[in-house]
Amino acid sequence: MSINVLIVDDSGVMRAMILKSLRMSGLPLGETHQAANGQEGLETLSQHWIDLVIADINMPVMNGEEMIERMKENTEMRDIPIVVISTEGSKTRLEQLQQKGAAFIHKPFTPEKIRDTIKDIMKLGGSDGNQGTN
Amino acid sequence: MGTKEQIKETLYNVAEDVLEKLAFIFSFPEDERDQMDYTTAVATRVSFAGPFSGALVMAIAAEALPELAGNMLGIDEDEETTTEQQHDALKELINVVCGNLLPAISGKQSVFNVNMPEIVPEGESIIKDDRPQPVSVAKMDIDEGQCDLLLFIDGETAIQAD
Ligand SMILES: [Mg+2]
Repeated sequence: MSINVLIVDDSGVMRAMILKSLRMSGLPLGETHQAANGQEGLETLSQHWIDLVIADINMPVMNGEEMIERMKENTEMRDIPIVVISTEGSKTRLEQLQQKGAAFIHKPFTPEKIRDTIKDIMKLGGSDGNQGTN
Repeated sequence: MGTKEQIKETLYNVAEDVLEKLAFIFSFPEDERDQMDYTTAVATRVSFAGPFSGALVMAIAAEALPELAGNMLGIDEDEETTTEQQHDALKELINVVCGNLLPAISGKQSVFNVNMPEIVPEGESIIKDDRPQPVSVAKMDIDEGQCDLLLFIDGETAIQAD
């Protein structure tokens, strides 16, 4: 199985950093798609088979929170695993995201953190004993 | 919110941490030196609103931008980056600094809205005459020059004097 990934972030440099981390992760990457805001993200989701969404919060046009809400309203998109990578530091907002089922990674991140979070949320297992922490 | 001295220390710590982890750039605090010559630096600014509102400005030597963007993009040293990529790198850098700085100053329960970072247009002064002076300035030396981080807070009276 290979994972088709959509990376949604308004910073092209950040998208490149995330993509590089994914390539280094050893995860079975399939197609990778990129979008610069939530609206572009939803368009990509409606056109391609995506197994995993990695999204920023703070973006122009449509932010990550709204994109996630729209995904949850859509029967084809609601079960796609979501990893939020953001600078968000407020506990209140993080809890809201977790209630929507998204995993969270804080910027700045390490490639290992991305790998482990994806393995965890996609239940890929085989990591170094980081499973089952809940 | 702490004293001005605590805020300054937090500013230095967050800047050092983010520069190193995000851009692989090592910085050295140079608190005694003069402020940079802002007319020759490239500056980026992000404003925020929450329990307190204001703006964070980062000025960095133009010579440092290729390394900054190159490191973040993970490309070879002989490959060139575009001005757009360099500005994007700088904006993402201040975005991450700001996102880490505010909860460190204000507490993890506080909710802030951070606006889109922008590059300060060339020729525009980063310290406007009608604006209050920065609450705190972190002055750092990096490989290719200098980097200053200025924190402005509206209605500065909320901060205890040191
Ligand atoms: Mg962003």
